[in-house]
Amino acid sequence: MLWYKSWLETRTRFFIALLGISALCLIRVYIGEIDVFTRLPLLRTVEYRTVLDEGHSMLCFLWMMGVILLTMGGLLREKATGAAPFTLALPVGRPRLLGTRIGMCLAEAVVLAIVPWIVMFLTASVFGEAVSLDQAGFLLALLLSGGMVFFGVALLVSSLVEGEYTAPMVSFGVVFAGLMALNSMSLDKYSPMHFASGGGLIDRHTGLVVGPIPWVHAVEWILLTVFLVAISLFAIQCHEF
Amino acid sequence: MSDSYAIFTDNLGKSFGKMKAVRGLDLAVKPGRITGFLGRNGAGKSTTIKMLLGMMRPTTGEGTVLGKRIDCPRESVEMRRRVAYVSEDKRLYGYMTVEQIIAFTGSFFPGWRPEVAENLLGEYELPRKRKIKALSRGMRTKLALLLAFARRPELVILDEPSEGLDPVGIEQLLRAMAVQCAEGTTVFFSSHQIADVERVADDVCMMEKGKLVLRLSLDEMRKSYRQIDAVFPAAPPELNFRVPGILSVRESGRQLSFLASGDTEAIVDRARDLHAVSVDVAPVGLRDLFLEMVKER
Repeated sequence: MLWYKSWLETRTRFFIALLGISALCLIRVYIGEIDVFTRLPLLRTVEYRTVLDEGHSMLCFLWMMGVILLTMGGLLREKATGAAPFTLALPVGRPRLLGTRIGMCLAEAVVLAIVPWIVMFLTASVFGEAVSLDQAGFLLALLLSGGMVFFGVALLVSSLVEGEYTAPMVSFGVVFAGLMALNSMSLDKYSPMHFASGGGLIDRHTGLVVGPIPWVHAVEWILLTVFLVAISLFAIQCHEF
Repeated sequence: MSDSYAIFTDNLGKSFGKMKAVRGLDLAVKPGRITGFLGRNGAGKSTTIKMLLGMMRPTTGEGTVLGKRIDCPRESVEMRRRVAYVSEDKRLYGYMTVEQIIAFTGSFFPGWRPEVAENLLGEYELPRKRKIKALSRGMRTKLALLLAFARRPELVILDEPSEGLDPVGIEQLLRAMAVQCAEGTTVFFSSHQIADVERVADDVCMMEKGKLVLRLSLDEMRKSYRQIDAVFPAAPPELNFRVPGILSVRESGRQLSFLASGDTEAIVDRARDLHAVSVDVAPVGLRDLFLEMVKER
């Protein structure tokens, strides 16, 4: 029933994020595939950068915001709303409470990446040229590995910062400040957003991602996420309510 | 020793920085009885309860609830399977409906009694389909009590349970507490409603400034504690009343008022020896005793 609670707690945010991101992705790909002046499809392969590059980049940005919003919650937010004593009086340990929330957020995060990609894939197939499944899978793998760092950061912030709306504000602040700092110092290769959006892997001429999936880097980002999750768990266990 | 009590603490303390919220608390709550937990705002009652339930870690000392150590997370989970708690705020999940939270809570307790939940749902007139965020404070309190009583607990811990309830609700609450106790459940509740505590409790613990200042049964209070008012012809000789059993002396004109326990006869005799014009002995109410215990020392 903890899964049920997590679902009830996040479902509104999840559906809003899912519909919003999918709609924006659909519009982006549709407009990108149609010449806005002639209303004719752009058939040259190079125009598929619209889908693979800009579409995916936009998805990464929206997905990051969606995941941060979905990850808000848990015991510290319940402390702010006054419901934490009820949760903590249940015969459930804090690791299980956090674990369930992580599981639900991860499942929703995966859906939040896959469904908009399906929408983009279908939109491109109907209005332009079909995108190969390999390309879509490649970009999704990048998003779901590099992007997980944002989930880890949001989870950590929600495990440290009290207040109903303070945690999302701090999360957005930390993420944007971090990304801007990496960008300004030309340290893009250390940016999870750069990795998730396929930066450095997209061929400028074809707009396609090239080479094998960089699994080593993907695992590094996932390990960083695991580390952030572990700190969050430690923080929640130490916290007093 | 600690196993024979539902709640037992030994030198339990909690500090927040330099502020000591609870100091050297030795609490012993007998099983199968209703114990009232009294104290002024900020006395340390809620902090004590949170330590008992594992929400806060004690700074000093130790304690057990139903024989389980309160500072061990694993034992605390086992303990909470047998304990029901209603917090001071009675805040629940606003996004759930009444029937959703009943189903949710019931899933954690193997001894959950649907018939009790059903009866209380009717008695408290709670709307099943309504979201909790749309309930009034009184309704939320009733729902929290339903969720506590239906889980067949061995111990019920209630923090200010009558807050937000109307007189009918308070009556229902007191009746439910008595029913729980009759079924063998230990009830431990904090309250500012001294009349309610006096009506329903078997034992009372009083806290003041983080310390336990009194622990007694109400039968003992009724039997042993007396208010003695002695009127003297001239200024009263307070210093002459160094008699065992006197807990406090209050002077008002030519009258001395004593709060005493134990052998009140000796105090009455002493007053008469000092030429008291009149000496009245009356039983002490819990309110008087409480006010005496928590007055500025």
